[in-house]
Amino acid sequence: MMSPSIVAEGISVEFPIFENSHRSLKKAVLNLTTGGRIGQDAGRHAVVRAVDDLSFRFSEGERIGLVGHNGSGKTTLLRTLSGVYEPVRGSLKVAGSVASLLDVSMGLDPDATGFENIYLRGILDGMSPARIRSKIDEIAEFSDLGEYLNLPVRTYSSGMMLRLAFSISTSVEADILIMDEWLSVGDAEFSAKAAQRLETLVGSASIVVVATHDPSLVERICTRKIGLEHGKIVYDESVERKPAALEVSHDPAPLS
Amino acid sequence: MSGSRTFTGGLDMDVAVIEREGGHLSGHNGRNDLLVGLRAVRVWGTLGWHDIRQRYRRSIIGPFWFTLSTAIMVVVLGALYSTLLHQEVRNYLPYLAVGLVIWQYMSSIANESCNAFIGSAYLIKQIRIPLTVHVCRIVWRNFAIMLHSVPVVVLLLIAFGRWPTWEFLLAPLGLMLLMLHGVWIGTALGILCARFRDIPPIVQNLTQVVFFFTPVMWSPEVLKDRGWVAEFNPLYHMIEIVRAPLTGRPILWESWAWSIALLFVGFAFAQYLMRRTRHRVPYWL
Repeated sequence: MMSPSIVAEGISVEFPIFENSHRSLKKAVLNLTTGGRIGQDAGRHAVVRAVDDLSFRFSEGERIGLVGHNGSGKTTLLRTLSGVYEPVRGSLKVAGSVASLLDVSMGLDPDATGFENIYLRGILDGMSPARIRSKIDEIAEFSDLGEYLNLPVRTYSSGMMLRLAFSISTSVEADILIMDEWLSVGDAEFSAKAAQRLETLVGSASIVVVATHDPSLVERICTRKIGLEHGKIVYDESVERKPAALEVSHDPAPLS
Repeated sequence: MSGSRTFTGGLDMDVAVIEREGGHLSGHNGRNDLLVGLRAVRVWGTLGWHDIRQRYRRSIIGPFWFTLSTAIMVVVLGALYSTLLHQEVRNYLPYLAVGLVIWQYMSSIANESCNAFIGSAYLIKQIRIPLTVHVCRIVWRNFAIMLHSVPVVVLLLIAFGRWPTWEFLLAPLGLMLLMLHGVWIGTALGILCARFRDIPPIVQNLTQVVFFFTPVMWSPEVLKDRGWVAEFNPLYHMIEIVRAPLTGRPILWESWAWSIALLFVGFAFAQYLMRRTRHRVPYWL
């Protein structure tokens, strides 16, 4: 098998904006019957180009930090790398298994118990039941939720919910790790434990791509820094590793 | 700009090239989404089963509510319509029971699959798995629900003195076909509804109207020389492949031919839509 890599050549991602009038069957039918005139505006929706003609190559061992303002296309690029959005143009080759920590709490089913959520998530990640069972204890123990795991997630406090989501989504093993902001959860004690776990996860992945607003995070873990603006790369530079920086206590950004 | 790549535009497949290796579920594209999705039995099996358990978590008799409501429906409607349509109860009740059960399965597939992708948006935008998995989840869930009504049908058959014959073996085969029909119908509706939000209410209305045109409550024989209304209704044949062997009606080769032919046409259509839109669906949600 090839070593893990991500190669993008001229990828663009565009979001079609369907106004009410555009998203309807009426327009499409009118379009059929009236031909040209209305057709022109019906076929051409306004689009937001979130990622604009990007080319890059991430290879084994690289830790890439994506920086940029809100709306600069960081998250969209991460979603594209994780396979949710397919680029409208260009070519993207991803070799290796991908784990993404985007919106970690979104996949939870509020009516299912904590254990069921762990199980369902494992199934969605394509794991075998035996494999999930082997991980379930570890996840449960790490989350520190104890008996609560037998209760529906909707009875959890928001902090507990995040703990569970964090424990589940960081239990993965993958060649390529995609993260939107450095996750931090819970009270001081749990937060320290979580930071350590994330650190291990980052350490064991071959390629890490993390979007962040935190310059110190980039300095601490990244080997390469890519600045995005309006979906374009404005700079792409290597980061000097500061060995001392590893000891600096970081101020984690809140989990979104 | 993106006109040529949106659903209403032209076929423009080769612009974006995506190659993935690694996770077997994420490594798919529009071409093999249906195949990879259908094979992920464990994923949709677990999700669908979870849905059923979830729905009846706090109910005492749980999914057997389906059994009970089928029984009540069949007995009440059967008593009423056998009189109205001058049918013999011993023939009519099993006929109605099988027809209603299958109709409920098909109409809930049609209605729920309108929401197959819209409702699973939170998953689709987070994990790359074949879109077909979300459809199969719905189909399997409804199939399992349908199986809960089997005891009612069996009881009725026994009550009216119809003992199993070799023909009964055709019924499970018919049920398998119906399950597959659910997949293509669900895929097609799921995609179309994600793009055009007017289609769900249209489907909802159609299923109500079509019910009266489909021989569920009545049999084509009642229409006498206007029986062709049923003959040209593919839904009639889809029901008949299960109903005929169970109720001792003549087994028509046309019904099987219609059902199997429609399955091929349907999957071809679903495959066409999937190939064209797999890469666009997440953007529409």
